[in-house]
Amino acid sequence: MVATAPLTRGFNCANCGAAVELRALQHTRAVACTSCAAIIDPRDPTVFVLQTAAERERVTPVIPLGTRGTWDGQPCEVVGFQRRSIEVDDTRYGWDEYVLFNPYRGFRYLSEYEGHWNDIRTVRELPRLESSGKRTKISYRGESYAHFQGATARTDFVLGEFPWRVRTGDEVRTADYIAPPQMLSSESTDDETTWSIGRYTEAAEIWKAFSLQGEPRSASGVFANQPSPYGKRLKRSAAVFALLAGLLALFVVVRLVSADRERVLSERYVWRPGAGEPAFVTAPFALREPGTVEIALGASVQNAWLGVDLALINVDSGTAWNVSREVSFYTGRDSDGAWTEGSRSSRVLLPAVPAGQYYLRVEPEGPTTSPQVPYTIQVRRDVPSLLPYGIAILLLLVPPVANLLRMASFEHRRLQESDHSA
Amino acid sequence: MMRAALFLLWGSIVVGGAAMADLRGWLGARPATVRNVPRSIRENPGAYRALYTGSPRLFGGK
Repeated sequence: MVATAPLTRGFNCANCGAAVELRALQHTRAVACTSCAAIIDPRDPTVFVLQTAAERERVTPVIPLGTRGTWDGQPCEVVGFQRRSIEVDDTRYGWDEYVLFNPYRGFRYLSEYEGHWNDIRTVRELPRLESSGKRTKISYRGESYAHFQGATARTDFVLGEFPWRVRTGDEVRTADYIAPPQMLSSESTDDETTWSIGRYTEAAEIWKAFSLQGEPRSASGVFANQPSPYGKRLKRSAAVFALLAGLLALFVVVRLVSADRERVLSERYVWRPGAGEPAFVTAPFALREPGTVEIALGASVQNAWLGVDLALINVDSGTAWNVSREVSFYTGRDSDGAWTEGSRSSRVLLPAVPAGQYYLRVEPEGPTTSPQVPYTIQVRRDVPSLLPYGIAILLLLVPPVANLLRMASFEHRRLQESDHSA
Repeated sequence: MMRAALFLLWGSIVVGGAAMADLRGWLGARPATVRNVPRSIRENPGAYRALYTGSPRLFGGK
């Protein structure tokens, strides 16, 4: 005999006698008594008990059956609840599923695992296999989904109405594919495979939609299709970085183009060992504007060194800025081949020297055994330095790099829960 | 969004600071400064004894 629609909107449980109300009426293929959890076929005129409640722990749904709300812009009612689980490495991991019913839209589902919620609909189009390499990818409506996890799911506890003949202990092979915040899941038996698509949903949305009391439990860990909060942050910080780096580059270009680099002294000298008092002063020169001053020393040393103590002295105020520079250059050959070491030139940048008349006091020093060493001293005003800009670009990289590392850590934690963890 | 605004503010300070550091030579050498050097130094440079920040000298090759 072909199953027919239920005769009434309710009946008494054939197992315990409690009143059982039907909300989805002719759509319901099985209903679990909310009193004794016996599973009943409501289409059978004799209200046949499909399965009596086993000795098991009762589960209280967070969203009570019969709760009504507006979900996705449509009124709906929570008509069923089941707890399912999978076993991984000898440990069972359980999650809850709620059956929502709208007389015109049919069924859809909410799932919850460790505070993570998904809004699930069955799909009619078959996803297309995209690649079957190390990590299988499938395509659905133009979006690519990567394989996440496969397992055997078992139904552990049911309450209320279901659009299929649910039974506790039912087992199906599941496979999840993710493209956060979406997740495509297949459930296969020997006879058929059904596909559904889930969208990661904030618990607060559900609490608001169904006017639930209290606060939802906090989500723990990273769920398979949980969207990374760092993706958007990374994009924003990269955009801000690009803006600031562009501004910095503009500053560098303007500075390189506009810096005076005015040469105010350029002299050649010769250092002679044992030639009496080595110290001398240069002719006065003018720094017409305040700013940086670069002193460059160059010497044609060969396997020798030359050190110079320098004092930039203001003629009027008598203020002196003292620095010392040294050049040394050595060459040779050993078992590794020819080598060189050191440099024949050296520069020093003095910060913010006031405008005025200046002279240099120079005191050269070198090895007493060397022949005479010719050397040059050049002084330039307003010389740009790229070092501050280099440091700035490194500092500007900190936020986007931090977001990149956080995002990588988030994705690593996500994959830890999958079949593809390292 | 708040983080991006803070980054923009902080980054602007960094960029402005870099420009100032370049103009003012904040990251240049830190020379020892001596005040009131007598004018006679120009006639007798050897009499000047400066406070040098010093630099390590290399006395030899590889």
